[in-house]
Amino acid sequence: MANLINRRNFFKKTALPVTGIMMGSSISGLSGCQRSGAAMPASYDIMEEVMKYRKINSHEHVWPDVSPDALIDFSDRLGVEKLAISSIIPAGPGREANPQGFRACNDLVLKAMKKYPGRFLGQAFLNPVYGKESLEEIKRCIDQGMIGLKIYNQVKINDPLFYPVIEKLIDLKMVMLVHAHCGLGVGGYRPRYGNVQPNASIPEDFAMAAKRYPEAIFQYAHLHGGSDWEYACRVLKDYPNVYADLSGSNNEANTVNFALKHLGEDRLLFGSDGSYYQGIGTILSSDLNDAQRKKIFFDNFNNILRKSGNNVD
Amino acid sequence: MLIDINASTGHWPFQQMQNSSCNEILARMDRYGVDLSVVSNLNGIFYKNVQAANEELHEELMSDRRFKDRFFPFAIINPQYAGWRQDLDICVNKMGVRGIRLYPVYHDYELSDPSCIDLVKIARDMGLIVGFTFRMFDPRGPRHWMDTTIQWNLGDMIPVIQEVPDATYFFLNVVGNIFVLNESERALLKKTTVLIDTSGASLGNMGNAIATYGAGKFAFGTHTPILDYLTGLLRIESLRENEGGEAARDQLRSGNARKILGI
Repeated sequence: MANLINRRNFFKKTALPVTGIMMGSSISGLSGCQRSGAAMPASYDIMEEVMKYRKINSHEHVWPDVSPDALIDFSDRLGVEKLAISSIIPAGPGREANPQGFRACNDLVLKAMKKYPGRFLGQAFLNPVYGKESLEEIKRCIDQGMIGLKIYNQVKINDPLFYPVIEKLIDLKMVMLVHAHCGLGVGGYRPRYGNVQPNASIPEDFAMAAKRYPEAIFQYAHLHGGSDWEYACRVLKDYPNVYADLSGSNNEANTVNFALKHLGEDRLLFGSDGSYYQGIGTILSSDLNDAQRKKIFFDNFNNILRKSGNNVD
Repeated sequence: MLIDINASTGHWPFQQMQNSSCNEILARMDRYGVDLSVVSNLNGIFYKNVQAANEELHEELMSDRRFKDRFFPFAIINPQYAGWRQDLDICVNKMGVRGIRLYPVYHDYELSDPSCIDLVKIARDMGLIVGFTFRMFDPRGPRHWMDTTIQWNLGDMIPVIQEVPDATYFFLNVVGNIFVLNESERALLKKTTVLIDTSGASLGNMGNAIATYGAGKFAFGTHTPILDYLTGLLRIESLRENEGGEAARDQLRSGNARKILGI
Protein backbone atom coordinates (compact mmCIF):
# COMPACT_ATOMS: atom_id res chain seq x y z
CA MET A 1 0.00 0.00 0.00
CA ALA A 2 0.98 3.54 -0.51
CA ASN A 3 3.66 5.38 1.40
CA LEU A 4 2.68 8.98 1.84
CA ILE A 5 5.25 11.35 0.41
CA ASN A 6 7.57 12.74 3.03
CA ARG A 7 7.48 16.53 2.86
CA ARG A 8 11.23 16.68 3.25
CA ASN A 9 11.83 14.29 0.36
CA PHE A 10 9.40 16.15 -1.83
CA PHE A 11 11.46 19.30 -1.79
CA LYS A 12 14.66 17.27 -1.93
CA LYS A 13 13.67 15.71 -5.25
CA THR A 14 15.65 17.16 -8.05
CA ALA A 15 14.53 17.40 -11.63
CA LEU A 16 15.28 14.32 -13.69
CA PRO A 17 15.98 14.14 -17.41
CA VAL A 18 12.91 14.35 -19.56
CA THR A 19 12.21 10.87 -20.83
CA GLY A 20 8.64 11.21 -21.90
CA ILE A 21 7.08 9.03 -24.49
CA MET A 22 4.00 9.77 -26.41
CA MET A 23 0.79 8.06 -25.64
CA GLY A 24 -0.20 5.16 -27.81
CA SER A 25 -2.77 5.56 -30.49
CA SER A 26 -6.38 6.02 -29.54
CA ILE A 27 -8.20 2.91 -28.59
CA SER A 28 -10.73 1.46 -30.93
CA GLY A 29 -14.37 2.25 -30.74
CA LEU A 30 -14.07 5.72 -29.29
CA SER A 31 -13.88 7.74 -32.44
CA GLY A 32 -16.59 9.80 -34.00
CA CYS A 33 -17.45 11.78 -30.92
CA GLN A 34 -20.12 14.32 -31.73
CA ARG A 35 -18.87 17.61 -30.42
CA SER A 36 -20.21 19.96 -33.03
CA GLY A 37 -22.73 22.52 -31.89
CA ALA A 38 -22.07 21.99 -28.20
CA ALA A 39 -22.07 25.06 -25.97
CA MET A 40 -18.50 25.56 -24.90
CA PRO A 41 -17.31 27.31 -21.73
CA ALA A 42 -15.61 30.65 -21.51
CA SER A 43 -11.87 30.54 -21.04
CA TYR A 44 -10.52 30.78 -17.51
CA ASP A 45 -6.99 31.94 -16.80
CA ILE A 46 -6.09 30.45 -13.45
CA MET A 47 -2.61 31.96 -13.37
CA GLU A 48 -4.09 35.42 -13.80
CA GLU A 49 -6.28 34.69 -10.77
CA VAL A 50 -3.32 33.33 -8.81
CA MET A 51 -1.16 36.35 -9.49
CA LYS A 52 -3.98 38.79 -8.75
CA TYR A 53 -3.66 38.32 -4.98
CA ARG A 54 -0.85 39.26 -2.62
CA LYS A 55 -0.02 36.29 -0.41
CA ILE A 56 1.63 35.53 2.89
CA ASN A 57 2.10 31.82 3.48
CA SER A 58 1.34 31.20 7.15
CA HIS A 59 2.65 27.63 7.40
CA GLU A 60 5.81 26.23 5.84
CA HIS A 61 8.99 24.47 6.93
CA VAL A 62 12.69 24.25 6.25
CA TRP A 63 14.60 21.02 6.76
CA PRO A 64 18.26 20.30 7.57
CA ASP A 65 18.97 18.41 4.36
CA VAL A 66 16.94 20.55 1.97
CA SER A 67 17.84 23.95 0.62
CA PRO A 68 15.28 26.72 1.16
CA ASP A 69 15.79 27.55 -2.52
CA ALA A 70 12.94 25.19 -3.44
CA LEU A 71 10.54 27.10 -1.19
CA ILE A 72 11.49 30.39 -2.79
CA ASP A 73 11.19 28.87 -6.24
CA PHE A 74 7.66 27.61 -5.62
CA SER A 75 6.71 30.89 -3.99
CA ASP A 76 7.92 32.87 -6.98
CA ARG A 77 6.03 30.55 -9.31
CA LEU A 78 2.77 31.15 -7.45
CA GLY A 79 3.12 34.77 -6.41
CA VAL A 80 3.75 34.26 -2.69
CA GLU A 81 5.59 37.24 -1.20
CA LYS A 82 6.50 35.92 2.21
CA LEU A 83 6.54 32.60 4.04
CA ALA A 84 6.31 31.88 7.74
CA ILE A 85 8.79 29.05 8.26
CA SER A 86 9.89 26.81 11.08
CA SER A 87 12.03 23.75 11.56
CA ILE A 88 10.71 21.03 13.83
CA ILE A 89 11.54 17.73 15.49
CA PRO A 90 8.49 15.42 15.47
CA ALA A 91 8.16 13.50 18.72
CA GLY A 92 9.19 9.88 18.50
CA PRO A 93 11.79 7.31 19.49
CA GLY A 94 15.30 8.73 19.16
CA ARG A 95 13.99 12.20 18.33
CA GLU A 96 14.04 14.16 21.55
CA ALA A 97 13.44 17.86 21.16
CA ASN A 98 15.94 18.91 23.80
CA PRO A 99 17.40 22.43 24.00
CA GLN A 100 20.32 21.50 21.77
CA GLY A 101 17.89 20.10 19.21
CA PHE A 102 15.45 23.01 19.14
CA ARG A 103 18.25 25.56 19.02
CA ALA A 104 19.66 23.79 15.98
CA CYS A 105 16.22 23.89 14.34
CA ASN A 106 15.93 27.59 14.97
CA ASP A 107 19.45 28.22 13.70
CA LEU A 108 18.37 26.64 10.44
CA VAL A 109 15.46 29.08 10.19
CA LEU A 110 17.72 32.04 11.01
CA LYS A 111 20.11 30.90 8.29
CA ALA A 112 17.30 30.81 5.73
CA MET A 113 16.12 34.26 6.84
CA LYS A 114 19.62 35.61 6.26
CA LYS A 115 19.92 33.93 2.87
CA TYR A 116 16.65 35.43 1.64
CA PRO A 117 16.16 38.72 3.50
CA GLY A 118 12.56 39.85 3.55
CA ARG A 119 11.09 36.58 2.26
CA PHE A 120 11.02 34.35 5.33
CA LEU A 121 9.17 35.08 8.57
CA GLY A 122 10.79 32.91 11.22
CA GLN A 123 8.83 30.93 13.80
CA ALA A 124 10.77 29.52 16.74
CA PHE A 125 10.36 25.87 17.72
CA LEU A 126 10.73 24.83 21.36
CA ASN A 127 9.76 22.17 23.86
CA PRO A 128 8.09 23.43 27.07
CA VAL A 129 9.36 20.41 28.97
CA TYR A 130 12.50 22.54 29.13
CA GLY A 131 10.82 25.64 30.53
CA LYS A 132 13.78 27.87 31.29
CA GLU A 133 15.58 27.05 28.05
CA SER A 134 12.38 27.58 26.06
CA LEU A 135 11.88 31.08 27.39
CA GLU A 136 15.54 31.86 26.71
CA GLU A 137 15.13 30.54 23.18
CA ILE A 138 12.10 32.74 22.56
CA LYS A 139 14.18 35.78 23.47
CA ARG A 140 17.11 34.68 21.32
CA CYS A 141 14.91 34.10 18.27
CA ILE A 142 12.71 37.18 18.60
CA ASP A 143 15.81 39.33 19.06
CA GLN A 144 16.94 38.06 15.67
CA GLY A 145 13.71 38.92 13.91
CA MET A 146 11.37 35.93 14.30
CA ILE A 147 7.66 36.65 14.45
CA GLY A 148 6.12 33.85 16.50
CA LEU A 149 6.28 30.21 17.56
CA LYS A 150 5.70 26.81 16.02
CA ILE A 151 4.64 24.10 18.46
CA TYR A 152 4.75 20.46 17.51
CA ASN A 153 3.62 17.30 19.28
CA GLN A 154 5.86 17.10 22.34
CA VAL A 155 3.29 18.60 24.73
CA LYS A 156 -0.39 19.46 24.26
CA ILE A 157 -1.12 23.16 24.02
CA ASN A 158 -3.40 23.11 27.09
CA ASP A 159 -0.79 21.44 29.30
CA PRO A 160 0.30 23.63 32.25
CA LEU A 161 3.86 23.27 31.01
CA PHE A 162 2.83 25.62 28.22
CA TYR A 163 1.43 28.37 30.44
CA PRO A 164 4.69 30.37 30.79
CA VAL A 165 5.26 30.15 27.04
CA ILE A 166 1.73 31.29 26.22
CA GLU A 167 2.00 34.14 28.70
CA LYS A 168 5.28 35.23 27.11
CA LEU A 169 3.69 35.22 23.65
CA ILE A 170 0.77 37.26 24.97
CA ASP A 171 3.28 39.86 26.14
CA LEU A 172 4.88 39.82 22.71
CA LYS A 173 1.48 39.86 20.91
CA MET A 174 2.69 37.04 18.68
CA VAL A 175 1.03 34.00 17.15
CA MET A 176 1.58 30.36 18.13
CA LEU A 177 1.22 27.96 15.22
CA VAL A 178 0.29 24.68 16.89
CA HIS A 179 0.45 21.29 15.21
CA ALA A 180 -3.06 19.85 15.28
CA HIS A 181 -4.62 16.47 14.73
CA CYS A 182 -8.21 15.45 14.59
CA GLY A 183 -8.59 11.96 13.24
CA LEU A 184 -9.42 8.44 14.12
CA GLY A 185 -7.04 7.31 16.80
CA VAL A 186 -4.88 10.38 16.38
CA GLY A 187 -4.11 12.68 19.25
CA GLY A 188 -6.77 11.18 21.47
CA TYR A 189 -9.84 11.62 19.28
CA ARG A 190 -11.70 8.31 19.38
CA PRO A 191 -8.77 6.58 21.09
CA ARG A 192 -10.31 3.15 20.79
CA TYR A 193 -8.90 3.15 17.27
CA GLY A 194 -5.35 3.67 18.54
CA ASN A 195 -3.30 6.66 19.49
CA VAL A 196 -0.73 7.63 16.90
CA GLN A 197 0.50 10.90 18.39
CA PRO A 198 -0.60 10.95 22.05
CA ASN A 199 0.64 14.49 22.69
CA ALA A 200 -0.63 16.11 19.52
CA SER A 201 -3.13 18.85 20.25
CA ILE A 202 -6.72 18.11 19.26
CA PRO A 203 -9.44 20.75 18.81
CA GLU A 204 -10.65 20.41 22.39
CA ASP A 205 -7.12 21.18 23.62
CA PHE A 206 -7.13 24.39 21.60
CA ALA A 207 -10.50 25.30 23.03
CA MET A 208 -9.25 24.85 26.60
CA ALA A 209 -6.13 26.93 25.99
CA ALA A 210 -8.10 29.63 24.16
CA LYS A 211 -10.62 29.83 26.98
CA ARG A 212 -7.91 30.15 29.62
CA TYR A 213 -5.99 32.71 27.57
CA PRO A 214 -8.48 34.71 25.46
CA GLU A 215 -5.82 37.31 24.68
CA ALA A 216 -3.43 34.74 23.20
CA ILE A 217 -3.30 34.10 19.43
CA PHE A 218 -3.42 30.45 18.39
CA GLN A 219 -3.14 29.06 14.86
CA TYR A 220 -4.73 25.63 14.34
CA ALA A 221 -2.40 23.95 11.87
CA HIS A 222 -3.29 22.51 8.47
CA LEU A 223 -7.04 22.17 8.27
CA HIS A 224 -6.36 20.29 5.01
CA GLY A 225 -3.69 18.17 6.66
CA GLY A 226 -5.74 15.11 7.34
CA SER A 227 -7.91 16.57 10.06
CA ASP A 228 -11.59 15.86 10.37
CA TRP A 229 -12.13 19.49 9.39
CA GLU A 230 -15.85 19.45 10.06
CA TYR A 231 -15.26 18.29 13.64
CA ALA A 232 -12.43 20.78 14.15
CA CYS A 233 -14.43 23.76 12.88
CA ARG A 234 -17.39 22.88 15.05
CA VAL A 235 -15.21 22.73 18.17
CA LEU A 236 -13.28 25.93 17.37
CA LYS A 237 -16.31 27.94 16.31
CA ASP A 238 -16.73 29.84 19.58
CA TYR A 239 -13.07 30.65 20.23
CA PRO A 240 -12.27 33.81 18.26
CA ASN A 241 -8.61 33.79 19.23
CA VAL A 242 -8.05 30.51 17.37
CA TYR A 243 -7.25 30.96 13.68
CA ALA A 244 -7.10 28.04 11.25
CA ASP A 245 -4.61 27.73 8.45
CA LEU A 246 -5.75 26.03 5.26
CA SER A 247 -2.52 24.21 4.48
CA GLY A 248 -2.14 20.48 3.86
CA SER A 249 -2.38 17.92 1.09
CA ASN A 250 -6.00 16.86 1.52
CA ASN A 251 -7.67 19.48 -0.65
CA GLU A 252 -11.28 18.51 -0.11
CA ALA A 253 -13.77 20.58 -2.03
CA ASN A 254 -15.88 21.89 0.80
CA THR A 255 -13.37 22.57 3.58
CA VAL A 256 -12.98 26.30 2.97
CA ASN A 257 -16.70 26.89 2.56
CA PHE A 258 -17.40 25.01 5.79
CA ALA A 259 -14.65 26.84 7.67
CA LEU A 260 -15.92 30.15 6.35
CA LYS A 261 -19.38 29.39 7.68
CA HIS A 262 -18.18 28.28 11.12
CA LEU A 263 -15.06 30.37 11.78
CA GLY A 264 -15.68 33.40 9.60
CA GLU A 265 -13.61 35.16 6.97
CA ASP A 266 -11.28 36.84 9.50
CA ARG A 267 -9.95 33.62 11.06
CA LEU A 268 -8.76 31.71 8.00
CA LEU A 269 -5.15 31.82 6.80
CA PHE A 270 -3.54 30.74 3.57
CA GLY A 271 -0.76 28.17 4.02
CA SER A 272 0.96 25.31 2.25
CA ASP A 273 2.85 23.01 4.63
CA GLY A 274 4.50 21.43 1.60
CA SER A 275 1.35 21.38 -0.55
CA TYR A 276 1.63 24.47 -2.66
CA TYR A 277 -0.88 23.73 -5.38
CA GLN A 278 -3.55 22.65 -2.91
CA GLY A 279 -3.05 25.68 -0.67
CA ILE A 280 -4.01 27.99 -3.51
CA GLY A 281 -6.39 25.75 -5.47
CA THR A 282 -8.73 25.23 -2.53
CA ILE A 283 -9.09 28.96 -1.94
CA LEU A 284 -9.65 29.87 -5.58
CA SER A 285 -12.25 27.13 -6.10
CA SER A 286 -14.30 27.94 -2.99
CA ASP A 287 -17.30 30.24 -2.75
CA LEU A 288 -15.34 33.31 -1.68
CA ASN A 289 -15.73 36.83 -2.95
CA ASP A 290 -12.75 38.95 -3.87
CA ALA A 291 -12.53 40.67 -0.50
CA GLN A 292 -12.60 37.33 1.33
CA ARG A 293 -9.82 35.96 -0.86
CA LYS A 294 -7.69 39.01 -0.09
CA LYS A 295 -8.23 38.53 3.61
CA ILE A 296 -7.34 34.84 3.55
CA PHE A 297 -4.36 35.15 1.23
CA PHE A 298 -2.83 38.19 2.91
CA ASP A 299 -4.69 40.52 5.25
CA ASN A 300 -5.61 38.14 8.07
CA PHE A 301 -2.06 37.01 8.72
CA ASN A 302 -0.73 40.50 8.15
CA ASN A 303 -3.15 41.78 10.79
CA ILE A 304 -1.78 39.21 13.22
CA LEU A 305 1.73 40.43 12.45
CA ARG A 306 0.59 44.01 12.90
CA LYS A 307 -0.13 43.36 16.59
CA SER A 308 3.58 42.92 17.22
CA GLY A 309 4.69 45.53 14.70
CA ASN A 310 5.86 42.89 12.22
CA ASN A 311 3.31 43.58 9.48
CA VAL A 312 4.72 43.43 6.00
CA ASP A 313 3.08 46.45 4.41
CA MET B 1 -9.53 22.80 -24.82
CA LEU B 2 -9.75 21.29 -21.36
CA ILE B 3 -10.89 17.75 -20.52
CA ASP B 4 -11.40 16.50 -16.95
CA ILE B 5 -10.80 12.75 -16.88
CA ASN B 6 -11.85 12.29 -13.25
CA ALA B 7 -15.31 13.54 -12.31
CA SER B 8 -18.18 11.84 -10.50
CA THR B 9 -21.83 12.39 -9.83
CA GLY B 10 -23.73 10.93 -6.91
CA HIS B 11 -23.45 10.80 -3.16
CA TRP B 12 -20.96 9.71 -0.51
CA PRO B 13 -22.63 8.02 2.44
CA PHE B 14 -20.37 9.54 5.09
CA GLN B 15 -20.15 13.16 4.02
CA GLN B 16 -22.36 15.64 2.24
CA MET B 17 -21.27 16.16 -1.35
CA GLN B 18 -21.81 19.45 -3.16
CA ASN B 19 -21.73 20.11 -6.89
CA SER B 20 -22.26 16.43 -7.61
CA SER B 21 -25.10 16.39 -10.14
CA CYS B 22 -24.51 16.65 -13.87
CA ASN B 23 -26.12 20.06 -13.81
CA GLU B 24 -23.85 21.31 -11.02
CA ILE B 25 -20.75 19.81 -12.57
CA LEU B 26 -21.65 21.44 -15.88
CA ALA B 27 -21.94 24.80 -14.13
CA ARG B 28 -18.43 24.33 -12.73
CA MET B 29 -17.15 23.29 -16.14
CA ASP B 30 -18.61 26.43 -17.70
CA ARG B 31 -17.20 28.66 -14.97
CA TYR B 32 -13.68 27.25 -15.15
CA GLY B 33 -13.36 26.59 -18.86
CA VAL B 34 -13.68 22.81 -18.89
CA ASP B 35 -15.08 21.54 -22.18
CA LEU B 36 -15.60 17.86 -21.43
CA SER B 37 -15.69 15.60 -18.38
CA VAL B 38 -15.34 11.87 -17.97
CA VAL B 39 -17.97 11.00 -15.41
CA SER B 40 -19.20 8.01 -13.41
CA ASN B 41 -21.61 7.65 -10.49
CA LEU B 42 -20.24 7.43 -6.94
CA ASN B 43 -23.30 5.46 -5.89
CA GLY B 44 -21.91 2.48 -7.77
CA ILE B 45 -19.18 2.18 -5.15
CA PHE B 46 -21.77 1.40 -2.50
CA TYR B 47 -24.62 -0.34 -4.25
CA LYS B 48 -24.31 -4.12 -4.20
CA ASN B 49 -25.98 -4.16 -7.58
CA VAL B 50 -23.84 -1.48 -9.20
CA GLN B 51 -25.77 -1.53 -12.44
CA ALA B 52 -28.46 0.55 -10.76
CA ALA B 53 -25.89 3.34 -10.42
CA ASN B 54 -24.98 3.08 -14.10
CA GLU B 55 -28.65 3.33 -14.96
CA GLU B 56 -29.03 6.38 -12.74
CA LEU B 57 -26.16 8.11 -14.49
CA HIS B 58 -27.53 7.22 -17.90
CA GLU B 59 -30.95 8.60 -17.02
CA GLU B 60 -29.41 11.80 -15.71
CA LEU B 61 -27.34 12.23 -18.85
CA MET B 62 -30.42 11.71 -21.00
CA SER B 63 -32.42 14.27 -19.05
CA ASP B 64 -30.80 17.35 -20.59
CA ARG B 65 -29.64 17.69 -24.17
CA ARG B 66 -26.63 19.78 -23.10
CA PHE B 67 -25.12 16.82 -21.27
CA LYS B 68 -24.64 14.66 -24.37
CA ASP B 69 -21.91 16.84 -25.74
CA ARG B 70 -20.11 17.59 -22.48
CA PHE B 71 -19.86 14.27 -20.63
CA PHE B 72 -18.18 10.96 -21.37
CA PRO B 73 -19.89 8.34 -19.22
CA PHE B 74 -17.89 5.56 -17.60
CA ALA B 75 -19.60 2.56 -16.00
CA ILE B 76 -18.72 1.03 -12.65
CA ILE B 77 -18.44 -2.73 -12.88
CA ASN B 78 -18.07 -5.24 -10.05
CA PRO B 79 -16.72 -8.49 -11.50
CA GLN B 80 -17.74 -10.37 -8.35
CA TYR B 81 -21.44 -9.73 -8.76
CA ALA B 82 -23.96 -11.74 -10.73
CA GLY B 83 -24.70 -10.56 -14.23
CA TRP B 84 -21.78 -8.17 -14.63
CA ARG B 85 -20.97 -9.31 -18.16
CA GLN B 86 -24.51 -8.50 -19.25
CA ASP B 87 -24.31 -5.18 -17.42
CA LEU B 88 -21.10 -4.33 -19.25
CA ASP B 89 -22.69 -5.17 -22.59
CA ILE B 90 -25.67 -2.91 -21.84
CA CYS B 91 -23.43 -0.09 -20.64
CA VAL B 92 -21.37 -0.21 -23.81
CA ASN B 93 -23.99 -0.92 -26.43
CA LYS B 94 -27.03 0.86 -25.02
CA MET B 95 -25.62 3.55 -22.73
CA GLY B 96 -22.55 4.41 -24.77
CA VAL B 97 -19.96 4.27 -22.00
CA ARG B 98 -16.37 4.92 -23.03
CA GLY B 99 -14.70 3.12 -20.18
CA ILE B 100 -15.14 1.46 -16.81
CA ARG B 101 -14.06 2.24 -13.29
CA LEU B 102 -13.22 -0.56 -10.89
CA TYR B 103 -13.30 -0.31 -7.09
CA PRO B 104 -11.75 -3.53 -5.75
CA VAL B 105 -11.29 -2.15 -2.23
CA TYR B 106 -14.95 -1.19 -1.85
CA HIS B 107 -16.25 -4.23 -3.72
CA ASP B 108 -14.02 -6.51 -1.64
CA TYR B 109 -11.70 -8.25 -4.07
CA GLU B 110 -7.98 -8.06 -4.76
CA LEU B 111 -6.42 -6.35 -7.73
CA SER B 112 -4.84 -9.70 -8.53
CA ASP B 113 -8.15 -11.57 -8.38
CA PRO B 114 -8.71 -13.55 -11.60
CA SER B 115 -12.09 -11.90 -12.04
CA CYS B 116 -10.45 -8.48 -11.98
CA ILE B 117 -7.83 -9.47 -14.51
CA ASP B 118 -10.54 -11.04 -16.71
CA LEU B 119 -12.54 -7.83 -16.63
CA VAL B 120 -9.51 -5.76 -17.61
CA LYS B 121 -8.86 -8.12 -20.53
CA ILE B 122 -12.47 -7.93 -21.65
CA ALA B 123 -12.37 -4.14 -21.43
CA ARG B 124 -9.24 -4.16 -23.54
CA ASP B 125 -10.91 -6.32 -26.14
CA MET B 126 -13.94 -4.02 -26.21
CA GLY B 127 -11.77 -0.91 -26.62
CA LEU B 128 -12.67 0.46 -23.21
CA ILE B 129 -10.49 2.49 -20.86
CA VAL B 130 -10.01 0.99 -17.39
CA GLY B 131 -9.95 3.45 -14.50
CA PHE B 132 -8.46 2.73 -11.08
CA THR B 133 -8.75 5.33 -8.31
CA PHE B 134 -5.89 5.10 -5.82
CA ARG B 135 -8.02 6.39 -2.99
CA MET B 136 -11.38 8.09 -2.66
CA PHE B 137 -10.81 9.87 0.66
CA ASP B 138 -7.81 10.70 2.80
CA PRO B 139 -7.59 7.77 5.25
CA ARG B 140 -6.56 10.04 8.11
CA GLY B 141 -9.01 12.38 9.83
CA PRO B 142 -11.62 12.96 7.17
CA ARG B 143 -12.30 9.26 6.74
CA HIS B 144 -15.42 7.89 8.33
CA TRP B 145 -14.85 5.06 10.81
CA MET B 146 -16.74 2.68 8.53
CA ASP B 147 -14.64 3.62 5.50
CA THR B 148 -11.44 1.95 4.34
CA THR B 149 -7.86 2.86 5.23
CA ILE B 150 -6.48 1.19 2.11
CA GLN B 151 -4.88 3.28 -0.60
CA TRP B 152 -2.62 2.25 -3.45
CA ASN B 153 0.53 3.62 -4.96
CA LEU B 154 1.90 3.18 -8.47
CA GLY B 155 3.71 0.02 -7.43
CA ASP B 156 0.40 -1.68 -6.67
CA MET B 157 -0.61 -1.24 -10.30
CA ILE B 158 2.42 -3.00 -11.76
CA PRO B 159 1.08 -6.58 -11.43
CA VAL B 160 -2.11 -5.59 -13.26
CA ILE B 161 -0.13 -3.96 -16.05
CA GLN B 162 2.09 -7.03 -16.26
CA GLU B 163 -1.00 -9.22 -16.67
CA VAL B 164 -2.65 -6.97 -19.24
CA PRO B 165 0.00 -4.70 -20.71
CA ASP B 166 -2.02 -3.77 -23.78
CA ALA B 167 -5.06 -2.38 -21.96
CA THR B 168 -5.62 1.36 -21.70
CA TYR B 169 -5.66 2.76 -18.18
CA PHE B 170 -6.61 5.85 -16.22
CA PHE B 171 -4.85 6.07 -12.84
CA LEU B 172 -6.87 8.56 -10.80
CA ASN B 173 -6.25 10.57 -7.62
CA VAL B 174 -2.79 9.06 -7.42
CA VAL B 175 -1.25 9.12 -3.94
CA GLY B 176 1.93 7.73 -2.47
CA ASN B 177 5.44 8.22 -3.77
CA ILE B 178 5.30 8.16 -7.57
CA PHE B 179 9.08 7.74 -7.68
CA VAL B 180 8.79 4.39 -5.88
CA LEU B 181 9.09 2.30 -9.04
CA ASN B 182 12.35 0.59 -9.92
CA GLU B 183 13.89 0.92 -13.37
CA SER B 184 12.11 -2.05 -14.95
CA GLU B 185 8.75 -1.05 -13.46
CA ARG B 186 9.23 2.50 -14.67
CA ALA B 187 10.06 1.22 -18.15
CA LEU B 188 6.91 -0.92 -18.12
CA LEU B 189 4.77 2.02 -17.10
CA LYS B 190 6.25 4.14 -19.86
CA LYS B 191 5.38 1.48 -22.44
CA THR B 192 1.81 1.20 -21.20
CA THR B 193 -1.01 3.36 -22.49
CA VAL B 194 -1.93 5.10 -19.26
CA LEU B 195 -2.95 8.55 -18.15
CA ILE B 196 -2.41 9.77 -14.59
CA ASP B 197 -4.83 12.53 -13.72
CA THR B 198 -3.53 15.69 -12.06
CA SER B 199 -5.79 15.60 -9.00
CA GLY B 200 -3.60 13.38 -6.80
CA ALA B 201 -1.51 14.51 -3.84
CA SER B 202 1.45 12.60 -5.26
CA LEU B 203 1.97 15.36 -7.76
CA GLY B 204 3.59 17.76 -5.33
CA ASN B 205 5.96 18.92 -8.01
CA MET B 206 4.41 18.56 -11.46
CA GLY B 207 7.64 19.47 -13.20
CA ASN B 208 9.48 16.58 -11.54
CA ALA B 209 6.67 14.17 -12.41
CA ILE B 210 6.83 15.14 -16.06
CA ALA B 211 10.61 14.92 -16.05
CA THR B 212 10.34 11.36 -14.74
CA TYR B 213 7.45 9.92 -16.74
CA GLY B 214 6.98 12.34 -19.63
CA ALA B 215 4.20 14.78 -20.40
CA GLY B 216 2.42 12.06 -22.36
CA LYS B 217 1.49 10.25 -19.17
CA PHE B 218 -0.61 12.95 -17.50
CA ALA B 219 -3.97 14.59 -18.05
CA PHE B 220 -6.11 17.13 -16.27
CA GLY B 221 -8.37 15.68 -13.58
CA THR B 222 -10.27 17.07 -10.62
CA HIS B 223 -11.58 14.14 -8.53
CA THR B 224 -14.65 16.32 -8.17
CA PRO B 225 -16.86 16.44 -6.13
CA ILE B 226 -14.53 15.14 -3.40
CA LEU B 227 -11.48 17.32 -4.05
CA ASP B 228 -11.40 20.97 -5.03
CA TYR B 229 -11.94 21.81 -8.67
CA LEU B 230 -8.81 23.82 -9.43
CA THR B 231 -5.72 22.25 -7.87
CA GLY B 232 -5.35 19.81 -10.76
CA LEU B 233 -5.49 22.69 -13.21
CA LEU B 234 -3.00 24.77 -11.24
CA ARG B 235 -0.48 21.93 -11.48
CA ILE B 236 -0.69 22.26 -15.25
CA GLU B 237 -0.91 25.99 -15.76
CA SER B 238 1.96 26.80 -13.40
CA LEU B 239 4.42 24.65 -15.39
CA ARG B 240 7.37 26.66 -16.55
CA GLU B 241 8.96 26.72 -19.99
CA ASN B 242 11.84 24.51 -18.83
CA GLU B 243 9.28 21.96 -17.59
CA GLY B 244 7.72 21.48 -20.98
CA GLY B 245 6.06 24.84 -21.39
CA GLU B 246 3.03 25.35 -23.58
CA ALA B 247 3.51 22.08 -25.43
CA ALA B 248 3.32 20.09 -22.21
CA ARG B 249 0.46 22.17 -20.91
CA ASP B 250 -1.50 21.44 -24.07
CA GLN B 251 -0.88 17.73 -23.74
CA LEU B 252 -2.13 17.78 -20.16
CA ARG B 253 -5.09 20.08 -20.78
CA SER B 254 -6.61 17.88 -23.45
CA GLY B 255 -4.10 16.51 -25.96
CA ASN B 256 -3.40 13.23 -24.19
CA ALA B 257 -7.03 12.70 -23.22
CA ARG B 258 -8.24 13.44 -26.75
CA LYS B 259 -5.85 10.89 -28.14
CA ILE B 260 -7.07 8.18 -25.78
CA LEU B 261 -10.74 9.10 -26.04
CA GLY B 262 -10.46 9.23 -29.80
CA ILE B 263 -11.68 12.78 -30.19
